[in-house]
Amino acid sequence: MDKRFFNFFNLTEDQAIALLDTPHDQISENDSRYIAASHLVNCPTERSIDALIRAVQQTDPVLANRIVRRKSVETLGRLQAVQALPIIHECLQDDDCYMVENAAWAIGEIGTQNAAILETVAQLLDKPGQTHRVIIHTLAKSNYEPALERIRRFTDNPDLPTASAAITAVCRLTGEHSQMTKVVGMLQNPNVLARRLSIQDLIDSRYYDAIPSIAKCPVSLVFRLRGIRMLAEAGISTGTLTFGTVQPHLEQSLRDHPNDLGLVHAYEHPPTLPVLIQELYETDFGRCYLACKTILEHYADAAPDALFATYADEARSDYGAHFHVMKLFGWLKHAPAYELLIEALHNKQPQFQKSRAAAAIALAELGDERAIPELKTCLNTRIWDLKYATLMALEQLGDSSGYEQAVNDEDWLIREKANAMLAIAH
Amino acid sequence: MKSVVTTVIAAADAAGRFPSTSDLESVQGSIQRSAARLEAAEKLAANLDAVAKEAYDACIKKYPYLNNEGEANSNDTFKAKCQRDVKHYMRLLQYCLVVGGTGPLDEWGIAGQREVYRALGLPTAPYVEALSFARNRGCSPRDMSAQALTEYNALLDYAINSLS
Repeated sequence: MDKRFFNFFNLTEDQAIALLDTPHDQISENDSRYIAASHLVNCPTERSIDALIRAVQQTDPVLANRIVRRKSVETLGRLQAVQALPIIHECLQDDDCYMVENAAWAIGEIGTQNAAILETVAQLLDKPGQTHRVIIHTLAKSNYEPALERIRRFTDNPDLPTASAAITAVCRLTGEHSQMTKVVGMLQNPNVLARRLSIQDLIDSRYYDAIPSIAKCPVSLVFRLRGIRMLAEAGISTGTLTFGTVQPHLEQSLRDHPNDLGLVHAYEHPPTLPVLIQELYETDFGRCYLACKTILEHYADAAPDALFATYADEARSDYGAHFHVMKLFGWLKHAPAYELLIEALHNKQPQFQKSRAAAAIALAELGDERAIPELKTCLNTRIWDLKYATLMALEQLGDSSGYEQAVNDEDWLIREKANAMLAIAH
Repeated sequence: MKSVVTTVIAAADAAGRFPSTSDLESVQGSIQRSAARLEAAEKLAANLDAVAKEAYDACIKKYPYLNNEGEANSNDTFKAKCQRDVKHYMRLLQYCLVVGGTGPLDEWGIAGQREVYRALGLPTAPYVEALSFARNRGCSPRDMSAQALTEYNALLDYAINSLS
């Protein structure tokens, strides 16, 4: 679990508990109980768990209180607070569908084999207006076989992520893989959320055959890398996969060239460059990759100036466009972008983290050997994708001096990569 | 794209019937409110950048602990994250005003997005706080007519409720 954003609000545990215990109509304008409930995820103590349970027990239905209750249930789930199961069980009967969703999710996180609780979760499958996908996830995760036939009814649900969860749950509960190709097919759905969520289902079902398709799925590489890494971890630990079988797909995703993706959108005619630059700000990365591909094919000469201009204007503070600008400078092999890429390589603000690995790949594309010592400093970070991209970049620049350090890295994928490179070198 | 009209027709078609009187009343209600919705949509579109910026600026001012130095707590972190996503939600909200239903928010901003936030450990609090500020900031007749503000605020409430 990536916890970069957990400690976002810099509250102390005492401050957060005091805020959470303040009745919502007495809270000062300068404070937020919602933030307090979010913050306590950093405090796995009895005191915090008790405070979160007290917050769930405050049932005033006004919006300001309702959102605090939901967030408290979510935090209790993250803290795996077994003692909260009875009250979370009660929340499954709530009128608020999002509270029910969070309660079902929290039960899955905490983990229980209590048949009464799991049957209450299963009965929600017959209740309309619920987030059935999350309910199905919890039942599958808990291996609750009495719900199997009820889950099976959702395998043809018109809501694709719900159908995907149901197919996956049937696969997990019975070992039937026959329908999993439908879930793989969703990796190419025009709806970005269907694409992203099907990756989660492929992880949950340990469907290793999907790794090449995940590598081509036009979503942010964060989702692809998470999927491939989790599947690799599971498959290698059981001897089903080897690092060598995963490596090309992992590296294809880290390299992240738009030509290696199966794009799901298309333009009738190539748009103008300003329109394409604006597409880099889209939240659906599938559209951003199409814009990148089109820029490379039609506007390679004019693009650098436009990229510098949009960087100065907005992209330097927009973590999505920032990422694509870095990648494009690399694919364009635009040497004047060197300083900008070095700055991105060392940018420690967490929302720009994926731009660091992007900058490493782009610097290798520039072929400027001045980047080698800059890149090597990244091997000392704790960010695995940055370290891996750095090893790929150093390899491209012809430098192998980082391998000895990397074979002892804390991250198993970095060790595997370094060992693979050393094996080739010898 | 779901709207009141498409929902009514889809339900009638699925049952092989004509729209009922209550179906037609809900369509009529939606049409009657359309002028107010379009006024709100027009005002929001014209001021989107200012509205989003004001929301996150005010949020930082309101919660001084968001301002502290440090890699994961810095001012810029919050601002950049919030600015991009608040604008995204405001754009979806503007589509909802045009459509006359919550379809665009449901389909592109909420369904599954809650799961993504949970799976990646992303904070929802900044969006919720910034949208709550926008919710309390709107003023009639300064910003728009009372009816338009009602439509706008209802959708902000919807977004806050379903993201949190």
